[in-house]
Amino acid sequence: MSIISSSRARTAVVAVAAGALALAGCSSSDSGNGKDKSKSKKEAAAQSAAVTMGTAADSTGPAEEVPGAKPGGTIQVYEEDDFSHLDPGQIYVSDAGLLSKLIFRGLTTYKEDDKGALTVVGDLATDPGKMSDGGKTWTYTLKDGIKDETGHVIDSADVRHTFERLYDPFITDGPSYIQQWMSGSGTTYRKAYAGPFKGGKHLPDSVLATPDDKTVVFHFKVAQPDLPQALAMAGYSVVPEKTDTKAKYDTKPVALGPYKVSEFKAGKSVKLVKNTNWDAKSDAMRHQYVDGFNIDINHDDEDQTKTILADRGDAKNAIMMTGQVATTQVQKVVSNAAAMKRTIQGYAPYVWQMNFNMDRIKDKKIRDAITYAMPSTAMYKTDGGAYGGEVANSLMSPTTPGYQKNYDPFDRSKKPNGDIEKAKKLIDEAGAKGMKIVYAYANVPVRQQQAVLVENALTKIGLDVQKKEIDAATWYEQVGKVKNGFDIYMTGWGQDWSSASTVFPPLYDGTQIQDGASNYAHINDDHVNSEIQRILKITDTAEATKAWTALNQYISEKVNPASPIYYTKTFQIAGTNVGGLRYSTVTSYTDPTRVFLKS
Amino acid sequence: MTSPIEIEGAEASTEVDEQTPQKGSDAPEKLEGRSPGQLMWRRFKRDRTGVVSAYVVLFFFLIAALAPLISKLYGKNPYTLYGQDDPLLLNDFNMPAGPNGGITSEYWFGIEPTLGRDVFTQLLYGMRTSLYTALAATVAMVFMGVLIGLFGGYFGGKVDYWLGRLTDFLLAFPQQLFMIASMPVITAVFVAPDEETPTYIHALAIIGVLWFLGWMGLARLIRAVTLSLREREFVEAAKVAGASPWRIIRKELLPNLVTPILVQGTYMLPSTILSVAFLSFVGVGYTEPTPDWGRMFAIGSDIYEQDPVYMFFPGVAMVIFVVAFNLLGDSVRDAFDPKTGR
Amino acid sequence: MLRFILRRTFGAVLILLLISAFTFFMYYAIPQDPATLACGKNCTPDALAIIHKNLGLDDPIPVQYWKFLSGLFAGRDFAVGHCPAPCFGVSFRDQQMVWDTIMDRFPLTLSLTIGGLLVFLIVGLGTGLIAARYRGTWLDKTFSSISLVLSSMQIYFLGPVVLGIFVYSTGWLDKPKYVPFSENPAQWFMGLLIPWIVMSVIFTANYTRMSRSTMIEQLQEEHVRAARAKGMTGRYVFFRYAWRGSLIPILTILGMDLSALLGGAVVTEFTFGLAGIGRLAVDSVVGKDLPKLMGVMLFSAAFILLLNVIVDALYAVIDPRVRLS
Repeated sequence: MSIISSSRARTAVVAVAAGALALAGCSSSDSGNGKDKSKSKKEAAAQSAAVTMGTAADSTGPAEEVPGAKPGGTIQVYEEDDFSHLDPGQIYVSDAGLLSKLIFRGLTTYKEDDKGALTVVGDLATDPGKMSDGGKTWTYTLKDGIKDETGHVIDSADVRHTFERLYDPFITDGPSYIQQWMSGSGTTYRKAYAGPFKGGKHLPDSVLATPDDKTVVFHFKVAQPDLPQALAMAGYSVVPEKTDTKAKYDTKPVALGPYKVSEFKAGKSVKLVKNTNWDAKSDAMRHQYVDGFNIDINHDDEDQTKTILADRGDAKNAIMMTGQVATTQVQKVVSNAAAMKRTIQGYAPYVWQMNFNMDRIKDKKIRDAITYAMPSTAMYKTDGGAYGGEVANSLMSPTTPGYQKNYDPFDRSKKPNGDIEKAKKLIDEAGAKGMKIVYAYANVPVRQQQAVLVENALTKIGLDVQKKEIDAATWYEQVGKVKNGFDIYMTGWGQDWSSASTVFPPLYDGTQIQDGASNYAHINDDHVNSEIQRILKITDTAEATKAWTALNQYISEKVNPASPIYYTKTFQIAGTNVGGLRYSTVTSYTDPTRVFLKS
Repeated sequence: MTSPIEIEGAEASTEVDEQTPQKGSDAPEKLEGRSPGQLMWRRFKRDRTGVVSAYVVLFFFLIAALAPLISKLYGKNPYTLYGQDDPLLLNDFNMPAGPNGGITSEYWFGIEPTLGRDVFTQLLYGMRTSLYTALAATVAMVFMGVLIGLFGGYFGGKVDYWLGRLTDFLLAFPQQLFMIASMPVITAVFVAPDEETPTYIHALAIIGVLWFLGWMGLARLIRAVTLSLREREFVEAAKVAGASPWRIIRKELLPNLVTPILVQGTYMLPSTILSVAFLSFVGVGYTEPTPDWGRMFAIGSDIYEQDPVYMFFPGVAMVIFVVAFNLLGDSVRDAFDPKTGR
Repeated sequence: MLRFILRRTFGAVLILLLISAFTFFMYYAIPQDPATLACGKNCTPDALAIIHKNLGLDDPIPVQYWKFLSGLFAGRDFAVGHCPAPCFGVSFRDQQMVWDTIMDRFPLTLSLTIGGLLVFLIVGLGTGLIAARYRGTWLDKTFSSISLVLSSMQIYFLGPVVLGIFVYSTGWLDKPKYVPFSENPAQWFMGLLIPWIVMSVIFTANYTRMSRSTMIEQLQEEHVRAARAKGMTGRYVFFRYAWRGSLIPILTILGMDLSALLGGAVVTEFTFGLAGIGRLAVDSVVGKDLPKLMGVMLFSAAFILLLNVIVDALYAVIDPRVRLS
């Protein structure tokens, strides 16, 4: 309802890496009585095993039919915020990431079974990739006759162009994993190559080679075992070379998937219609049941929930994309058995953590004290209610491989709402009674309420809390500064694919500390730094996972740069006429590729 | 200078006593030997609605002023998170666990959802915040409006032209948008980056922003009335008699402007309260944990289905207050202007 | 008449220039960097520098303002193509021409404000007149009290409640939705009915009050009394003399409420999930989208100024003594 709170979603996605490909716990519509919350956690834990690599046979279409699916009709979508980008190269966040599932295709993608287990399969490529040279070289062969919406057949030049255009300065918002793997870390890759538009130069064959029309070969300096998963990110969807309009592409992209954009009005609406050049036989995971999608922007969670719950008119055919059942409406939905049947639930990949600015709070005892004092239960309840989150026991998310359910360094299972006594004792031991703590928070209603809770708890343990409200839109910029002037601040982070390698290096690598970097706590611990470098080089997934788990324990117990507060969960509802409703562990929202209308 | 707020209740009579030279129509009544102020007071006292509204309005201001005392007697404050300390007060969904929004003999108006504060003291202090802010802003707006309007209207010519252009300029500003855009600027300029923004800065910023774009309406009205008054015989007479402009403004013009000032002022105060609420609603007003009437209103409208009681008390209080204030305004107006007598 | 139009136009241009400068420099008064919003996950100073260049933020602020102004009159070229005059620039966020976006949103806001305006003028003045005509009766009291209670309401409170009752629970009306008038007038009307009513409620009360009190005042005026003394009928005097006179102060108030009306549109759009100028404005503030902010501020200001001119022209229509000059 509140105007500025509309930026809530935006705050969460700016740096939170919402685009995350999550291996999340799932409970689909049929298992959604919702009372059994622990169940989803168990499933998440079971699935945070690594993703399976598919075969060439897995990569062929058509996708397995959804039981009872019928063609026809138009799905109504209510969204709060505008899609930040339509140009795949700029897509990193969840809203556009969802849309990209419908309109774009990359070299690889995920296939998902009923339990939410994921298999990486070839999408435009015939398989998820052939690794050679110990993971330094990857070869992809394109499927035959895949056309974009204009009828152009995709060839290897288009794939090469897709990666080359990411070096051009106009691309600023998307993921940069593969560019960095190919041409250098940080932003140095941009100096290695200026993009295809100036002078038409290509990346050298020693980096990206296209020996024939159908073959693409990646060469990396070090082994990159995660390439198939990185390629499945929306940001690496293919942009055909001939129809690339650069900056303009952001509003008029060319579709390869089952739907294309027929109308795009910034901040208002998006209409998708069938892409007739899409061939079901070439696609292993997408369907084309409905005729199109009408996406209407500017409906906040409150509005979406009430409208879909009332189930009248268009709302019967409605799904939520990134919307959530509003905090205030949760009780109403949960107490209505019929409505619960059309909800989906699952883990979102984010861990909200209270970062300590380690340049300012140098005493670990004080950090521990604050960690113990955090009222986790009360805090997650303000953000989505009882179904919006769960107390976090560790800095790792239940969706990340290597997560341990029983690892509980701060007694969160016994005292989920904080252990004031213990915290007080620690503060007394540290002699920090009356110490000034500057607590920064984004100025939106949810964070304001949480600030009251935090202040309440920290005052009880004898600290002098100075609350500092920060403009929500520039929140991550301000706390991302090395000299931000704050002591504690809460940030959220989610994995980009199911590996801790997309979580630990960005958050805890001390060599990365600089303005704008995501090491918000400014932790710079030699052991952590060297471990991160070591584990990143491990090609065996199981071994790497084990090592991340051990590092997680070291970080929390020996350094404690951040207090785990809560994990976020997805709780969405759809109209009564919508079939095929399923929580997608890939996007951590309703899977839009398999929905259909019952009548 | 007369401001409408001082009119509520007893001071009213003393306030207007100095308006001896009223309009000619008052003259016959002078035979009874009463000043127009006394007459107005007598008329006002006879108006039952007006007297009742005056008491209601007075009651609200009294409550606001005495909020600390009342909450001390009541034994709670608006900041303690009772619902967090006592897990029985809120249910799993962060709504009051007890029936009727958690009303008990201990929590008279129930418990606030989510944070679990005491609604009664929240409302008391919230009204205090809103009333004080709105009062200050309204006084500032009325002062500015009367000043600009009178000057422009009386002096005319160049002065009037430029004041008029200034008014036009500010009137063309999309008011609410400007408020949203400018509030962060004000706080950024005045507060050190590692310190909590003090509540008084919020208050000053809100008052400032409301004032800056809130006085033009009154100024235009006052100017228009002044223009017509300037041509009236009694002003001409005073001019001919050699009265100074200051005296004419004070003795001839201002008394005749009291009615529009009062009517506009009484309309402005409640609407200013609503504007303060608007700012909280869009997130640039008072922030937690400063209790705020407007925020209670906004939260209440989100959860009116789940917890109607939470909406009830702030809502009813707001309706009663605004209605009473408007009725009081009408009565004062009727009492001032004998032409519209009963 | 021609002089009136010319003078007002000149004044308006001057005011708009002032507003543009005011907005522009206020935007830069806070240390904020719009580039960070387009900067993604690993927002290093290098990455920021690239975005600064893309958005044209590497120029000194006065130069940026000058470019904006010249674009307004002569058009500008951007990465996404040429932007013809009057060019408000290209949004920092969505790479669209701001002018196009505004043109796309404006019909909704226009329908909303003009519709709301008509509703509260008709209902407000109507009830005020009736209350004045039957002063002191139960009718007067009912109208006056209802208007008083309603005036204490807020759009963002009334909106959800009305939606809850008429849309979500009973389904008597559809959820508000904007359908262009040219597409389907009936749907246009039905889709905006609830917003109009809710939006006009807070204004109506004030106009009921105003029209009642000015009407009563007018009925006491000498020229009205004289007319009645001459033997004219009550109704004739009421409408021909008193009502006309009472319209002048009401028009004055209306002229000043126009900006509030636009503000009302902001809240209304948010309450009902409609995408108009108001929504755009808030989005541009939240998203630090300077070109959009400038566009919206100038466009709304121009709209307010235009309505003001119309109101001023109406003075002359109502009161023959007023000359447009």
